[in-house]
Amino acid sequence: MPQSVMQTKKNIHILRVTHLQGPNIWTYRPVIEAWVDIGDLEDYPSNTLPGFYERLTALLPGLVEHRCSEGTRGGFLQRLQEGTWAAHILEHVALELQNLAGMRTGFGKARSTSTRGVYKVAFRTRHEDAGRAALTCACALLLAAINDTPFDLPAAVEVLHDLVDDLCLGPSTAHIVDAATERRIPHTRLTDGNLVQLGYGIEQRRIWTAETDQTSAIAEEIASDKDLTKSLLAACGVPVPVGRLVRNAQSAWEAAQDIGVPVVLKPYDGNHGRGVSLDLRTEADVTAAFELADRKGGGSAVIVEKYIPGTEHRLLVVGKHMVAAASGELLWVTGDGVSDIDQLTDLQINTDPRRGSGEDAPLNALMPSRSGEIILELARAGLTPTSIPPAGQKVLIQRNGNVAFDVTAQVHPSIAAAAALAARVVGLDIAGIDMVLEDISKPLQSQRGAVIEVNASPGLLAHIKPAQGTPQPVGTAIIDHLFQTGKDGRIPIVGVTGTQNSARIARLVAWLIHISGKHVGLACSEGLYLDGRQIDAADCAHWDAGQRVLINRSVQAAVFENPSRMILAEGLAYDKCSVGVVTDVRWQAALEAFDIRDDEQTYKVVRTQVDVVLPSGTAVLNADDPQAVEMAPLCDGSVIFYSMDAQQPDIVRHLQAGQRAVVFRDDSIVLARADQTVATLPLANLRPEKASRPEMVMAAVAAAWALDIPAELIGAGLRTFESNPKKTPY
Amino acid sequence: MEVTRIRALRGPNLWSHHTAIQSIVTCSQQERSIATIDGFETRLRERFPELSALQPTGHDDHISLARVLELVALGLQAQAGCPVTFSRTTPTLEPHTYQVVVEYSEEEVGRKALDLALEACESALNDTPFDLAAALSALRELDEDVRLGPSTGAIVDAAVRRGIPYSRMTSGSMVRFGWGSKQRRIQAAEIDATSAISEAIAQDKQLTKRLLASAGVPVPAGRAVSDAEDAWAAAQEIGLPVVVKPLDGNQGKGVTVNITGREQLLKAYAVASQFRDRILVERYMPGNDYRLLVVGDKLVAAARREPPTVVGDGKRSISQLVDQVNQDPRRGSGHSTSLTKIRFDDIARGCLASQGLSAESVPTKGQRVYLRNNANLSTGGSATDVTDDVHPDVAARAVAAAHMVGLDICGVDVVTDSILRPLEQQGGGVVEVNAAPGLRMHLAPSFGKGRPVGEAIVSTLFKNGQNGRIPVVAVTGTNGKTTTVRLIAHLLKANGMRVGMTNTDGVYVNGHCIDTGDCSGPKSARSVLLHPDVDAAVLETARGGVLREGLAFDYCDVAVVTNVGSGDHLGLNYITTVDELAVLKRVIVQNVAPGGVAVLNAADPNVASMAEKTRGSVTFFALDKHHPVMATHRAQGNAVVYVENGNLVAAKGSFQHHIPLDRIPVTLGGAIGFQIENVMSSVAAAWALKLDWSTIEAGLASFSNDLDNAAGRFNLFQHRGATVIADYGHNPDAMAALVKAVERLPASRRVVVISGAGDRRDQDIRQQTEILGDAFDEVVLFEDQCQRGRADGEVIALLRAGLTNARRTRTTHEIQGEFLAIDTAMNPLKSGELCLILVDQVEAAMAHIAAKVAAG
Repeated sequence: MPQSVMQTKKNIHILRVTHLQGPNIWTYRPVIEAWVDIGDLEDYPSNTLPGFYERLTALLPGLVEHRCSEGTRGGFLQRLQEGTWAAHILEHVALELQNLAGMRTGFGKARSTSTRGVYKVAFRTRHEDAGRAALTCACALLLAAINDTPFDLPAAVEVLHDLVDDLCLGPSTAHIVDAATERRIPHTRLTDGNLVQLGYGIEQRRIWTAETDQTSAIAEEIASDKDLTKSLLAACGVPVPVGRLVRNAQSAWEAAQDIGVPVVLKPYDGNHGRGVSLDLRTEADVTAAFELADRKGGGSAVIVEKYIPGTEHRLLVVGKHMVAAASGELLWVTGDGVSDIDQLTDLQINTDPRRGSGEDAPLNALMPSRSGEIILELARAGLTPTSIPPAGQKVLIQRNGNVAFDVTAQVHPSIAAAAALAARVVGLDIAGIDMVLEDISKPLQSQRGAVIEVNASPGLLAHIKPAQGTPQPVGTAIIDHLFQTGKDGRIPIVGVTGTQNSARIARLVAWLIHISGKHVGLACSEGLYLDGRQIDAADCAHWDAGQRVLINRSVQAAVFENPSRMILAEGLAYDKCSVGVVTDVRWQAALEAFDIRDDEQTYKVVRTQVDVVLPSGTAVLNADDPQAVEMAPLCDGSVIFYSMDAQQPDIVRHLQAGQRAVVFRDDSIVLARADQTVATLPLANLRPEKASRPEMVMAAVAAAWALDIPAELIGAGLRTFESNPKKTPY
Repeated sequence: MEVTRIRALRGPNLWSHHTAIQSIVTCSQQERSIATIDGFETRLRERFPELSALQPTGHDDHISLARVLELVALGLQAQAGCPVTFSRTTPTLEPHTYQVVVEYSEEEVGRKALDLALEACESALNDTPFDLAAALSALRELDEDVRLGPSTGAIVDAAVRRGIPYSRMTSGSMVRFGWGSKQRRIQAAEIDATSAISEAIAQDKQLTKRLLASAGVPVPAGRAVSDAEDAWAAAQEIGLPVVVKPLDGNQGKGVTVNITGREQLLKAYAVASQFRDRILVERYMPGNDYRLLVVGDKLVAAARREPPTVVGDGKRSISQLVDQVNQDPRRGSGHSTSLTKIRFDDIARGCLASQGLSAESVPTKGQRVYLRNNANLSTGGSATDVTDDVHPDVAARAVAAAHMVGLDICGVDVVTDSILRPLEQQGGGVVEVNAAPGLRMHLAPSFGKGRPVGEAIVSTLFKNGQNGRIPVVAVTGTNGKTTTVRLIAHLLKANGMRVGMTNTDGVYVNGHCIDTGDCSGPKSARSVLLHPDVDAAVLETARGGVLREGLAFDYCDVAVVTNVGSGDHLGLNYITTVDELAVLKRVIVQNVAPGGVAVLNAADPNVASMAEKTRGSVTFFALDKHHPVMATHRAQGNAVVYVENGNLVAAKGSFQHHIPLDRIPVTLGGAIGFQIENVMSSVAAAWALKLDWSTIEAGLASFSNDLDNAAGRFNLFQHRGATVIADYGHNPDAMAALVKAVERLPASRRVVVISGAGDRRDQDIRQQTEILGDAFDEVVLFEDQCQRGRADGEVIALLRAGLTNARRTRTTHEIQGEFLAIDTAMNPLKSGELCLILVDQVEAAMAHIAAKVAAG
């Protein structure tokens, strides 16, 4: 090993970074693809860099979990020890940094290119910006480990963590999206926030954290009007505490006397727990509580209502059913004769590992001196946050909030029914019902329980990550509420890849679907078409145009032309499709820019189209192209071959296996299954322009057949299609 | 004159179908006839000249001051613009005391009008001043304040025209249409199906634009910019002229339009930055402002909107021109007129300044001066209806925009030169979509035709032919109504419906008791009608609620009147005779929907005579099919229910359906006469609701009159071989019916336990034991702590008196306490004997009896 080279600083150049937003040559999901030049590190695999292994694993001990190609824990470390190249290490470091930043990812790959020292590194990310940042950071960390220079990992992780918090879906939304993924329902983020589209086109639903597109705006308005909510609930037999709105401390006390102490005071417009004081019995307490509620409620009215003894619960209703319940607890500290209450809280409550300030911490850290509610609670015991209670004295810190103890399994059916009814009365499809109950496992009639609030867009954390008890599959419940059993939010999607007439095939397929009575969206190099209208005449064989089609709520079926260039540069616009058409696998000079240099490499690009065919779907493959034929086993669904030659051996074998094929025979296009001719479409019926290109027509016919469009309709569609977009709206 | 007991009759009532304020007015001797008060009418007419002529009512030539009060209260409302016409004054039995009823369209206005009317009358009496103008303006203001706004009002009116019932949920614009599981809700032009997410999307202009662009709806190209330089870069990408505005801003604050150069753009950026951090640069689309209203999947109205303008005459200043324009009588100050006064405020002055003008400038003749950039009606702009001009492609884009955002009612703002041609041809586009759009510009545009947008919205809520109603059965009568209510509810349940039921025990929804106590009033009925889980309602409708507040519903499908007996609460609330009671109970019959059915007891002349008062058809029931009322009715081809040869028969024309009584357990094989009556009326009601006969029969077969079904309604127990019957009967008619039933049950010895309710008339209490004395061997009289206002021993004495001439009773006990009385009767029972217990504290007594039976 030449000493001089070892002494110069190693470097890695990131040549270009692409975010592949859909299925791509690497995997089904979005990845960052980086082209990196590792320079002379090409000559220094990991095992040749002294101390590098130790430095890297000291920085990132979590790498032990990376299985890598070995498929076992420690697999990647083994590769490191045996010797692997910087690009591969970069991939794992980037993944590990993402994990440390709170974004779970696992997939990565590194491949050499035709240029020595230049690699393509791909790794999974959940957000482009976070992925790019992780890559930059990984590069710096890797070089620091190679060159034995310091690296401030905590600072780097914190930056990434903030980025992930900012950019990625919030925990409740992510939980619902995960549940959708479980059911193979695709999702698309519509904003930087938590507005997510589930499914495609007309089958889509929208969610915004725990709101759905069925969540009525009026119902939300009702829920925010506590008085109206209570009167509606009471009329329907749901128990609620009697109460009254007041606007000054004196009338608060008068109301308290009318209602009968003990009472609760809370701001009219307040939100969960803020400005709420419980179990008030004296004029002084009511007055103090009024001032707190008035301040926290920003000057809206204050509610005085009957205090119901018991524990606060949060019951989550989805659709017609209660799906999860959590209970709250009283929080106490015990004096030690030395610490004040702030300190005792830190020592006895905030040490709980579940408490934190982040969004994903199940419980909040408490700061008595900064919480008006706690100050008031303490004042009623004659204390302040700086009081030092004598050793052994128990001090009540908080009565409500922290509803994070899962009790779903214990809920009495009558209580679940009351919660569901409350949601229904208000009109919410998803609601958090706050109930005070003595015992959630006993019938509602047997205790003094009551609904104290109905919340729209409830937080799900208490149920997903309870402080104690079993996490509840509330995301699944929400998805089941939005999508009936068996529905996956998908519409028929046809993708066409190849160099032979693929735009025309896409248009023809769109037309045939249109003839069958569906609203079709089409994105191809000859434009963007929606609902029988060309809305963009430019080349629309790209990811953005595809998205436009898929987010359209009236689209019942979608057709896309997916050139290899698009798959390489952007990824497919959809995650899975019903029909994938491959006309041919032919290398083109334009692919050189992606370091794709021959037909064989082109095959790996084009196969993406077949990889994403759903198990219920169909690959339509040109049997006259041997590489297309080779893709048949890659398809999860069935295969329809088409060929100009009815006697072609692949066709014959396929038909013998009972499968479908479209062939050209006696100047007709013939739809055949096993030994049967399903339909014959004479070419003579078609316009000369189409008749001159039977293979193009066959590909479209096969795709339409795959979508179960009847042969008569296919025939009619072929006869009426005009290639001039002005004459045919597809 | 003294006005007391002011009540709002919020539904159909004794007096009329209208909502009304009812009060008791006590006049002095002199006030009985205003003719005796010197100059009163003249003074009153000076104060309220529009007062209608004071016509004497009936043959009484005296016009009471109460009657004058009535007419003034009605007249004041009418003069204030309220659509009211009905009022009435009737004398009560008490001297100089009248019931005064005055219709209202808004309760608060009605109450206020009565107060003001009293003031007016008193001022005329005492010759003190009365400010009519102030009174009318107070009423008008109050009315405008409390009544529904024009958008909501238009939707409600459209619903009412389709026969859809409605009720306001708040003092604002939230309204419920329909009942029970069929109910829908709106809030102004927002419906319950309007998704909160879609509203949030409509608020996010960038996202909206992206979504619309996806759907091929033309939108102004543009993007958010990070700083002034970026804004200039964006302007060049998009192409001048451009608009600069704050992202998510409102009401045109910080917006600069038609920017053609760099200097102008940088200035505009600085202006916009004062309002929001995030700034948007968009292509400027010149043209007219249009508002397209999409409801469901249709364009239902379109209006061209213009900002407030004045046109110069070369003489007057702008402020003078504005004053002149504002004198147009069509320009009001609120939301009720088709135009609103132009506001001369800071925004207007700012707008003038941007045109290089001020309030004092004198524009040349014909010069148009804009006083605002935006074209809102509420700030003095005008709207011209252009619905018929909209090109189908433009309509399609508007519908696509609404659909893409997900709004079922959507105001789409379009800027384009002309609505007659496709947007794409003129570079026009959609600039905004609005949830809960205002409807005034379409209902009453400043120019052109008004459009029926309320109707369109109602038809998205309720499909053609639907009216949001659930079957409603109202039941009233003296005896048997609770069992009838339960039985009808049971039959509807057998029909697969979730039934809401109110009666004197409580409110039940789908079998769950949601309230207890006497729930036969309108409040309980309303709670059933608004409950989301109710598919059909059976409402016991007691007189008290009808008197107090009127009915909870405008129409019912079926009204059942079992009977109008004597002795049931006579003497309360100025109802002193059976005839008057019948008039009261008739209210439900009068409010049967056209096409509905009144189920009436033909054997009770007071009930039978209600037949002519209903808009619906009539089904009579009676045991005897030859009863003249029955026979006539049947001969005319109408529906009747009777009993013949051990069968209950429903007959109409040539149709007949027979149900053997021995398949109806509640009648004990036909042994219990009053239960047969209850069954007949229930069957008639179910028949009226077009239930299948197989469903009705199955329901009858499964209706057992045990504790679960109706506590205190002829509950039968077997105790040591003896028959024990518990019942809540408490009036002479009930006694007679019970005795009739008991006499058909063979027994070696009969014992009865009875107390009297203190709030009945003496004669009614006494009469109960008179009836029982002829049928029972032994009577246990008891008294409990709850004497409803009578002294201890008083009720027992009356009961004892009733037994004086008893033909059968040999033994009498007098007991303190209900449980002890029950024990006294039940403990010695032997096989073959019969014991009737007339329970008082139903729940406790039934539990006590059940426990004794269980113990054996």
